[in-house]
Amino acid sequence: MDGGDGYALKFLMMKTQNYQPSRRAALASMFAMTAVAHSATAEDPVAIAGKRPMILHNDRPEDLETPLAYFDQWITPNDAFFVRQHLPRPVIEEASYRVAIGGRTERQMKLSLAELRKLPQHKLPAVLECTGNGRGFYQPRVPGVQWGRGAVGNAEWSGPRLVDVLKLAGADLTAAYVTVNGADVGVAKTPDFIRSMVMRKAVDPNTILAMNMNGERLPDLHGFPLRMVVPGWDGTSWVKWVNSLVVSNEQDKGFFMDPAYRFPKHPGLPGQPVDRADLELIEGMPVKSYITAPADGDKLPMAGAVLRGMAWAGEEHVTKVDVSTDGGSTWTAAQLSEKSLPYTWRLWKTEWRPVQTGFYTVMSRATDSAGRVQPIVSRWNPSGYLFNAIDRVGVVVEAGA
Amino acid sequence: MKRVMIAGLLVAGGCLAADDEAGKKALRTQCVACHSLRLVESQRLSAAAWGKEIDKMVGWGAVVQDRSLLLDYLASEYSNTKPVPKPDMSR
Repeated sequence: MDGGDGYALKFLMMKTQNYQPSRRAALASMFAMTAVAHSATAEDPVAIAGKRPMILHNDRPEDLETPLAYFDQWITPNDAFFVRQHLPRPVIEEASYRVAIGGRTERQMKLSLAELRKLPQHKLPAVLECTGNGRGFYQPRVPGVQWGRGAVGNAEWSGPRLVDVLKLAGADLTAAYVTVNGADVGVAKTPDFIRSMVMRKAVDPNTILAMNMNGERLPDLHGFPLRMVVPGWDGTSWVKWVNSLVVSNEQDKGFFMDPAYRFPKHPGLPGQPVDRADLELIEGMPVKSYITAPADGDKLPMAGAVLRGMAWAGEEHVTKVDVSTDGGSTWTAAQLSEKSLPYTWRLWKTEWRPVQTGFYTVMSRATDSAGRVQPIVSRWNPSGYLFNAIDRVGVVVEAGA
Repeated sequence: MKRVMIAGLLVAGGCLAADDEAGKKALRTQCVACHSLRLVESQRLSAAAWGKEIDKMVGWGAVVQDRSLLLDYLASEYSNTKPVPKPDMSR
């Protein structure tokens, strides 16, 4: 990179940190600069306000992955929580912010943040996982953000229940769907990010419009001032910057409902396209577990180590985590911590004393209350969704380690 | 004869290099309106898959002046036969 490009790049990053997409002038200048400045290099890394160093898949808009090493506690702190954005982050003015409720309702309403705060507030821990988490592990490779393990996190969310907000407007709760839109809009002809949710899930007492995340005001990157929390469902339904709720008997017909975020009904051949008619909406998450310690490539002593990790299962409960230290030949049940709750993850641990030095493949496999078990091979699909294969790390046991 | 062949190879090589530069320029000017280059550079796809991506992005408003130039560049530079790069960390 020559000096001119370097200068342009610094300018671009200055702009990126203050990125205000609704301002056309700022946008135009950004695009002009990006045409000159390419991606940042190791010498000139991108800083993301409010975040520790994160795995950087995309800096405009921000797509940030949590490094596995940050998952060392039950709650994922806000500054370590992954970010997935389809569209540029909108500019929010708190005082004038309103969420509009309409469609099949007795009255059209526009609620302020103060009015939302007056409603009963519900608090719950829940795992948020990107539908494409683990996409980078699928073979053949599929297009999209090449997430590894870290497009997932567990936070405590609080805010009014969606059903209470709907009732304020006299919503017809026998209607089929609630369609949720946020303040973000598409660039050029990119479709707007709009999602419809079946009424059963919309009126669930655990489905909330979160205003707080881990006891703090919802961070801008996570949808300030208002985001959907749809416990047990994949991240696509957790619309950020919510400013519109429409009660309807029709599902939204936009790209982000169909064909995006759909999974093949029948297992197809890896690498082969799937008929649109054979795709169905994803509503929920599979059972899954990670090994957080030791890390892949760690050296361990003969005295042994505590193997640790977490497991989650969408709307189900995690009932068992089995661990193997011999590449999956034999399995033993790990100890599960925390109460058995749906939506959030459970930590697991087990002590391991190796019998001899050498290389070991450590694996974890979760089972849930619906009897689902993590597969050895996750089912290939053209968009790389719902990866949940058994997790594994390789470790070396040394006499002197 | 030998000299002619070498001259031919040099010309072909020069054309390839020129296409490569033009392809790189196309990527860096025509594919960055909505996202950073990282999103492109992290992909490893077949030519067929790259073709679909270009068409999807054109449908979404990207202005691609020479589809085959861009496609050839993406399919060779970010081919599914190449190793996957490790993403950068943010600061």
